[in-house]
Amino acid sequence: MSQKKDAGESLYRKEPKVYPRDVQGRFARLRQLAVLVLLGLYYFLPWFNFNGHQSVLFDLPARKFYIFSLTFWPQDFIFLTLMLIIAGLSLFFVTAVAGRLWCGYACPQTVWTEVFLWIERFVEGDRPKRIKLDASPWNANKILRKTAKQVLWISFALWTGFTFVGFFTPIRELGHSVMSLQTGPWETFWLLFYSFATYGNAGILREQVCKYMCPYARFQSAMFDKDTLVIAYDEARGEPRGGRRKTDNPEEKGLGDCIGCTLCVQVCPTGIDIREGLQIECIACAACIDVCDQVMDKMDYKKGLISYTTEHKLSGAESHVFRPRIFVYLILLLTLIAGVLWSINNRVLLRADLLRDRNALYRELPDNRVENVYTLKLINMDFKAHKYKIEVVDNQDFVLFVSPDLQLEPEEVGNFILRVQAPVSAGRGSKKIDVRLSTLDEPIIERIVSARFLLPFK
Amino acid sequence: MTMEHPVNRRWNMRQRDWAVVFWIAFLSAAAGSFVLFGLVNPLDMVSQWADKYDIGVRLAYGLAFAFLYLVCLLASALTMFMIRTGPSRGHARGKGGQPIPKVKDPSRSNPDLDDENWQ
Repeated sequence: MSQKKDAGESLYRKEPKVYPRDVQGRFARLRQLAVLVLLGLYYFLPWFNFNGHQSVLFDLPARKFYIFSLTFWPQDFIFLTLMLIIAGLSLFFVTAVAGRLWCGYACPQTVWTEVFLWIERFVEGDRPKRIKLDASPWNANKILRKTAKQVLWISFALWTGFTFVGFFTPIRELGHSVMSLQTGPWETFWLLFYSFATYGNAGILREQVCKYMCPYARFQSAMFDKDTLVIAYDEARGEPRGGRRKTDNPEEKGLGDCIGCTLCVQVCPTGIDIREGLQIECIACAACIDVCDQVMDKMDYKKGLISYTTEHKLSGAESHVFRPRIFVYLILLLTLIAGVLWSINNRVLLRADLLRDRNALYRELPDNRVENVYTLKLINMDFKAHKYKIEVVDNQDFVLFVSPDLQLEPEEVGNFILRVQAPVSAGRGSKKIDVRLSTLDEPIIERIVSARFLLPFK
Repeated sequence: MTMEHPVNRRWNMRQRDWAVVFWIAFLSAAAGSFVLFGLVNPLDMVSQWADKYDIGVRLAYGLAFAFLYLVCLLASALTMFMIRTGPSRGHARGKGGQPIPKVKDPSRSNPDLDDENWQ
């Protein structure tokens, strides 16, 4: 062993290519449904408009994110952060209850790999044919099929990349510029890069992404306990495995219910044998359940030799859905969701920043008055145009002059010069004032900003 | 051969790995700070909120370095975690572990599966 190491032999072993066999059944149908819904949303959402803008658009140059009726400004990014945390917590919650549902049905890696597999099957046929084709020498048939597959894969990947960029640049404009080959450098880069990533991950790497690249696959087991749903082979019922005729009595032959057809291995997209026990490579896609149930049907045995189950159930103990960790995740999740909904609902659709003019502290006017100059920056976050009035809260001494007029179009950002005047008798040194901005029309949108007003010290 | 003076191992494998994570992240963050502030003036960075929080240049350098260090630490630690916890066969753990599962024609030892289109 050590000699071999000294000889410089690599410890790396190339993984054999996995040729997942096609499978039909209830979980396969569920995944097909998930693929259609999720990819349908992905490919078609950008084409729909909402409130006069693209339904989902992350407008980076304008620093505005549109998600249906909501517009997120840079100051609102806390909401996006919170939404990401909610998404993460939901993942934890679902994982604790039902295991790797995310991996098996909803992960983009799974979803896109599924489509690439459909294309591959359509062009090259099912598993045995694909193996034969790969092993055969290059001939007209092989060249034709491989080329056709690549053309379809690349077209699909390009459409994916185009749609991805369409979430950041209005997709209709992007469509026009792609048609006339006039996309900007960054659009071109991201379109090609995302297409390449799709092609590479879903076409070439596939299960290796889950096995070697995905961090979630590694730490998801931290959310597991003995009541989490896993896909497992019922060893007590299945072993000893062995071939037989349907009419044979397994007990007489000393066999369990597993007939050793190895179909569960052949349908597995990660190329493992579920009968070896729970493995980190298993993405819980349930393909082995579907195919094993069909075989059990065929042999007139009870279904469920491989099934969604829990460790407790397998060992004969009772399984619990409601456990402390479920409640902890659920309460955290609901609190966060409620908080985000409340604060989005109650956010003030007006931002105001009051900045002192840095060039002068104050200016003394002839009539024993003092003037301070500020820059007032207003953002109208509403979908309607508004006029605003401005006043100093609870203080009649201060007089305000704004130029130009305080009105903003929908989603407009405006800069105004605010001059505040007060009699010298208003105080000495620095004085804090609260400035209230409110809309003239109902319902009133109001915001109060503070500033320092400087007066002579003497 | 008996060992009269057993060697005191100072750090175990895990501790050494963590030390590497911290050290490499530090070096990367330092290099990153050089490049970042070669291109950006920290005063420009803070002017946006200078009115509210007067943080000063030194703190701006410090905060940027701390942020870069945190990001590098995260990347470094995640890399260590991924290498340590890989699947047992095939990859970084070397050969061995479970053999690649054997497959066969399903109907070979189960003639009753023959009429199904398993081919």
